[in-house]
Amino acid sequence: MSHFYHFDTISLHAGQTVDPEFGARATPIYQTTSYVFPDTDTAASTFNLERGGHVYSRITNPTVGVLEQRIAALEGGSAAVCTASGMAATFCAITAILSQGDHIVASSQMYGGNVSLMKNTLPRFGIETTFFDPTDLDSFKAAIQDNTRLIYGELIGNPGLDILDLDAIVKVGNDKHIPVMVDATFNTPYLCRCFDYGVNITIHSVTKWMGGHGTAIGGVVVDGGNFDWGATDKYPTITEPYAPFQGINFWEEFGPSAFATRIRAEAMRDFGAMMSPMNAFLLLQGIETLSLRMDKHLSNTEALLEHLSNHKQVSWVSHPDLSSHSSHELAKKYLPKGAGSIVSFGVKGGRDAGKAFIENVQLASHLANVGDAKTLIIHPATTTHSRIDADALVAAGITEDMIRLSVGLEDVEDIKADFENGFRAARKFADA
Amino acid sequence: MYFDVKGKRVFATTGGKPFDNSLPCVIFLHGSGLDHTFWGLHSRFFAFRKYAVLVPDLPGHSHSEGPPLKSIEEIGEWLNDVVETLDINNISIVAHSQGVLNALEFVSHHPERVRSVSFITSGLATPVNPALIDAAENNPEAAVAMMVGWGFGPAGHLHQGPIPGSSMVAGGRKIMLGNTPQELATDLKACDAYKNGREAAAKIGGPIQVILAGQDRMAPRKATDELVKHLKNPEVTVIPESGHMVPQEVPNQCRDLLKYFIYANNPAS
Repeated sequence: MSHFYHFDTISLHAGQTVDPEFGARATPIYQTTSYVFPDTDTAASTFNLERGGHVYSRITNPTVGVLEQRIAALEGGSAAVCTASGMAATFCAITAILSQGDHIVASSQMYGGNVSLMKNTLPRFGIETTFFDPTDLDSFKAAIQDNTRLIYGELIGNPGLDILDLDAIVKVGNDKHIPVMVDATFNTPYLCRCFDYGVNITIHSVTKWMGGHGTAIGGVVVDGGNFDWGATDKYPTITEPYAPFQGINFWEEFGPSAFATRIRAEAMRDFGAMMSPMNAFLLLQGIETLSLRMDKHLSNTEALLEHLSNHKQVSWVSHPDLSSHSSHELAKKYLPKGAGSIVSFGVKGGRDAGKAFIENVQLASHLANVGDAKTLIIHPATTTHSRIDADALVAAGITEDMIRLSVGLEDVEDIKADFENGFRAARKFADA
Repeated sequence: MYFDVKGKRVFATTGGKPFDNSLPCVIFLHGSGLDHTFWGLHSRFFAFRKYAVLVPDLPGHSHSEGPPLKSIEEIGEWLNDVVETLDINNISIVAHSQGVLNALEFVSHHPERVRSVSFITSGLATPVNPALIDAAENNPEAAVAMMVGWGFGPAGHLHQGPIPGSSMVAGGRKIMLGNTPQELATDLKACDAYKNGREAAAKIGGPIQVILAGQDRMAPRKATDELVKHLKNPEVTVIPESGHMVPQEVPNQCRDLLKYFIYANNPAS
């Protein structure tokens, strides 16, 4: 009978062939720029995409390749390409299929870097974006234009944690024959495999939960292999001959891996946004324990949601696992294990109380990252969004008392105790 | 490229080069439920070494117009129609799994244009478990899981392989799911019904190569031994570590074997 390995086994083994020379059990770090060809025919055929293998580490690298194949396997995708960062992954994925005059429909609930890329950078190259409210499907449908070539969103939106309704979004994508690309950083394939819902491409900042230890920046694009690029003439970069590779037609020759192969052939070569082998090694160590860490992230999050919801100095708590959250039903549908470990909450006393809270916790780290093994907090009103006024903060879904919390893996009782230091300092502003 | 065979649209990839029927030609034949992309690396390799390459999608599969053909004998005749339509000569046939049965029928009835034959992981017959045929018709996801699960060997199941970043298992699953339920079920029934393999094998002359896999769970050794026994002087190679999907699981070894055999028996200028 057929048997497929399960998630935890794939996390540990997928993509790796045990080193045949020395038997190294861990994936070796192939810290090399280039690879010796045994003969000219092998060199020519590797260059010309006639055989698998490595030419130059800007294009492929054995250590990075293990990580790519492992993530593709975890996601259920046909192929993956790792990049220097999550933003590089987004840029490479978009430019693989969009050109001047094309249009993106994107969720407004996204990481600021994604918003800036689509709002400020891509228009300089003739690619425009219309943003939609992920809680308003009518606005999403209305945003689709004749030249729309991509639908983009984050499954767990940032910063409001609104959940993208994948079934509804994918249905429109299928009807209009537009691929759906989802930034799955906050959920990881352990909480939701987006391809199971018909999403066509996923992006990750593997810097976050996938790596999980705050030691390496990286990104990945995963090709779901489930989009029929040849059904229309809207995607010529995939379906028309590509001159730099002797007129290769990615769709004809690579089928379900056509999109990933285009990224490999063009973006990695021309933009050079490769992941380093050392980073790939570090990220592999993290992925080996992905499910264990995510379970602990979720159990700590659940405990803290209860603690914060009942705390007299907390004015509000937001997380999709709470019934009060507008995306609670969608969270139950798409993220049944739990809707991730980012929590937003308000400290009574406004901006000064939030600031005092941040400055007086000791265990939680005050920094601009999420998805680390360690608990991280930030006060957006005095840091990431300190230069905008109160009205603009509201428009961005950020209140002056808001603390963004990335729940770590510490003993949850220690996190609670640490937070009491912050609440104690914030109390005088609440009482004022 | 697209072309018409008896009024039906046929798709075939040509390995990245325009098809030139004046060159010696390698025709690659895919197995049940699959399509031309199964041969991706191999087709490109020969196309860039002065061979015409043709990798057709069988009728009804992926980009070729349907319906799928219901018997191996019909497919054999359809292959001859393809060859005559494109006026191809000096042919090397490379066939995998069900493609081997299709090739047996084609070559045994129309040997005149064929210079060499390479058979990969198949027996003379492919009896199919009724439960698999039933699943192909009524529960395609389960059928594809069985096909892919049995098809790939240990390395495939661990998503290993020489193509950086690619998952063979996931890719194979996507292609096969696109050819369900009708195409896969029809292919499996055609395989199950085919009884002419022994007679066809005995008729084939000329250079014959057989590539087998040590971890093959789709075409067990007893069945492949039958094929070898009834062919005339085949060159037989067993790749111990590979599962049934040799061209994808060990593409470099597979290509090297094909290369030396085809270069020797159907040389390009």
